[in-house]
Amino acid sequence: MNRNRLILFLAVLLLALAIVPLLAAQDDMTDVYGRALPEDAAPYALQTWRNMCRSDAVETTFTAVVSVYQRICTMGDLFSDSLVVLNNDLQLIPGAAESWEPSEDGLTWTFHLRPDQVWSDGTPLTAYDYEASYRFMADPANAYDFVWMWQGVIAGWDEAVAGEISPEEIGYRAVDDLTIEVETQTPFPPLPNTLFFWAPIQKAALEAHGANYTIDPATAVSSGPFILTEFKPGESVIFEANPTYNGYRKPILREMIGFFGDYNTYFTAFQNGEVDRVSYERLGPAEFEIIDSDPVMKDNYLPNPGDFRTDYLLMDTFNPPFDNQSVRLAFAKALDRDAIVANVIGPRLAIPAYSFLSPGFPASDVTGELHPIQAYDCDAAKQLLADAGYPDGAGFPSLTLQLRAETETVAARFVAAAASISSCLNVQIEVNNMEFSAYMTALLARPTTLQFGAVSYGMDYLDPANMLGVWVSTGRHSWRNAEFDNLVQAANAVVGDPEGRTQMYRDAERILVEDVGGIFLDHRIQGELYQPFVLGAPRELNSQGLPGYQWGNEGNWGSIYIGSTVTDVKTYRNDMGLVGE
Amino acid sequence: MLPSELYFLGAFMTGYILRRAVSLVFVLYAVATIVFFLMSAVPGGPYQFGERGYSQDAMANILAKYGLDKPVTERYVNYIRDALHLDFGKSTAVAGNPDVVNLIGQVWPVTLQVGLYTILVSFSLGLTMGIVAAYFRNSWIDNLVTFVATLGITIPSFIIATWLLLIFGFQNGWGRAHTVIIGPVVEGGYPLLAWDYFLPVITYALAPLALVARYTRSSVTDAMSADYIRTARAKGLSERAVMFRHVMRNALIPMVTVLLPQVPNLLTGSLFIEVVYGIPGLGKFFVTSIFNRDYPMIMALALLIATLWGLTYLITDILYTLIDPRIRIGGRVRSA
Repeated sequence: MNRNRLILFLAVLLLALAIVPLLAAQDDMTDVYGRALPEDAAPYALQTWRNMCRSDAVETTFTAVVSVYQRICTMGDLFSDSLVVLNNDLQLIPGAAESWEPSEDGLTWTFHLRPDQVWSDGTPLTAYDYEASYRFMADPANAYDFVWMWQGVIAGWDEAVAGEISPEEIGYRAVDDLTIEVETQTPFPPLPNTLFFWAPIQKAALEAHGANYTIDPATAVSSGPFILTEFKPGESVIFEANPTYNGYRKPILREMIGFFGDYNTYFTAFQNGEVDRVSYERLGPAEFEIIDSDPVMKDNYLPNPGDFRTDYLLMDTFNPPFDNQSVRLAFAKALDRDAIVANVIGPRLAIPAYSFLSPGFPASDVTGELHPIQAYDCDAAKQLLADAGYPDGAGFPSLTLQLRAETETVAARFVAAAASISSCLNVQIEVNNMEFSAYMTALLARPTTLQFGAVSYGMDYLDPANMLGVWVSTGRHSWRNAEFDNLVQAANAVVGDPEGRTQMYRDAERILVEDVGGIFLDHRIQGELYQPFVLGAPRELNSQGLPGYQWGNEGNWGSIYIGSTVTDVKTYRNDMGLVGE
Repeated sequence: MLPSELYFLGAFMTGYILRRAVSLVFVLYAVATIVFFLMSAVPGGPYQFGERGYSQDAMANILAKYGLDKPVTERYVNYIRDALHLDFGKSTAVAGNPDVVNLIGQVWPVTLQVGLYTILVSFSLGLTMGIVAAYFRNSWIDNLVTFVATLGITIPSFIIATWLLLIFGFQNGWGRAHTVIIGPVVEGGYPLLAWDYFLPVITYALAPLALVARYTRSSVTDAMSADYIRTARAKGLSERAVMFRHVMRNALIPMVTVLLPQVPNLLTGSLFIEVVYGIPGLGKFFVTSIFNRDYPMIMALALLIATLWGLTYLITDILYTLIDPRIRIGGRVRSA
């Protein structure tokens, strides 16, 4: 090698040594779709979301199409996109469907899929995948656990579930590759809202491997933002960004990891940096005390309305003593909600409830006209109980307020509710926290074996048809009011008169409150505690100025990312060797 | 021992083991029957009610899916028939609905491994502490062992686990996750020894260690005060011979009675230890399968536990006869 060649070789070598790190740095700040990460993002290697999965629950599937109540990790349906989704202002926006419209008679809805959506095996996502998913859910052989959602809604659904017709005959049909038609039994304006949960499974994989194809990385396919790459039941699960995803929520995150553990240790895991978010449901008074004393955590607890959940007391109104409306109203007026919210629950976590629908929910009592009906008035409550034949509680049977496997935090509010009623009316009430299945068995038995209980309910879709539907006489409560039933059922089918429809629901709710179908305690204010380095969607404010992950906005997974400050704190993410120590 | 005595011992033990094995079969049948009908009587099922419950048709579909639409007697006959073929069905609560026997075969080795380490630690340390405490009874060593044993028994494992996690856990750099010390024997298996095992084994071992130490001390102390020990010493036997030939042998019977039944507990794991330390073992299923109404798993575990206990008591009884000649001689006298 002569001298010139040697100099040239060294120059090329130096240039290469200078360029390679630059290229590497650039790659490190680029996601799997070739997009540059936000400026304040951590390198792509650190774009990992960490979550805890319950190790003691029945969790058998990743998809709501197979089971709603047995979903693993509740990490969202990330292997495909539902037709519609909610934005941070709870407005219905396109998901996998780019548009939809009802027929003139309001009985048929047509959804148009966005073109060019593909599964990770290269095959296109089509309307036939959605059709196969809905047929799977309607098939009695699959004993789907959420069939109630479209009972009385989708044409042929009830008959298919009963085994009277084939699931192929239900009114959910693929017209062509990109068009879906949904026929309803009666006009049902909130039909699109009911479709937001259900991200489809792939028809071909379902036929080839059965519904469990989603839990085996060898057979899993995805047309959603993530794809399953590892699953060790009871140990861990890993989703990686799906490079073939072509939808509306391309993730910045590189991967999502779930590890199985005891939910009682969720907050400890958060403090250790093992998880990136904790739901308010995992936080008790002691945890909030710690959060409040820590400026960083305090700033990173982001409240939101969640699923508009209301806590309430329910009664067997078909049998004494609660078959007497005066008794029920006496109990309602003996409940000092304001004091319980102020002193037991905390104003950060709830507001007093005087009716069922939370403020902000469609058709809710925004003017407060229902407040006086069940408002705390101990003297009036005593008088009502006396009128019912129990002066000063004399002769009133002792009761047990049954709870449904509640956490310590939730149980505390119901214990306080029992104490409030007991002390005002001089009746004896014990509180018993039942096991979940035993509680629901008792509640749903006909006749019910649950005389007096406490429970909560939050929306499944954003419409009063859903929330108030739980109170109709075919619902879970042992309370019946024909006028209420008629109003709700009529309102469900009103088309073209949204104000009139809303008023019908308001009238129905007034009946519920006046007839004391339930005694409403509090509307929960929900929220999540985030690690300070979690950026993107949770930090964006909605039109009401609320930050946080808004219920129903699955699009948020497209904009959550890990900030560069992650390297400043000690976390498992860093300790796994992704950041040099 | 004379050849005729050995022959008699062999015949006696064979008959004894056979009789016990037959009685174990009846015990297992009784356990299976009782657990089956108790389980059937508990409200709920292997399905989640959710918030809204089910319509009649939907409920009928769900019951049919889990085979609960059949009369309880028919289910019982089917269950006993399948159990005789070691077929307990598929888990209803685990992802993928795996076969219960396969699932147990998959997760039990992890629990067994932790359990065996726990037995090793608790029995070796406990025996040593108990013997030393008895030998130096009423000394400061004895007081220290008694103090440690009392702590081990009285402090619940969840407190110990919390403290261990706090002191030695991740934040102080110990227990670094997934650091393997001795790799797995088979490819894809769990490592033979890893840092992950240390804290769970210490947590798990403290209570049995305390129990072993207490009973060992008590048994050895009793034996050391016996007349035959004084006689042995008077005969001029060395202290070592006195301790190992006479004291330990006689102290073993009460120790075997109390300590051996600890083994099935330790080999089948603990919900709390496994959940807190994230061990993917069998222990959690003893609780979660009941809450989740995972009937196939409940039945398989009940029979597994019953078998383990039956075998443990059988082994305990056999050990009696080997340790104490009076028991087999008594048996011969009675049988004669």
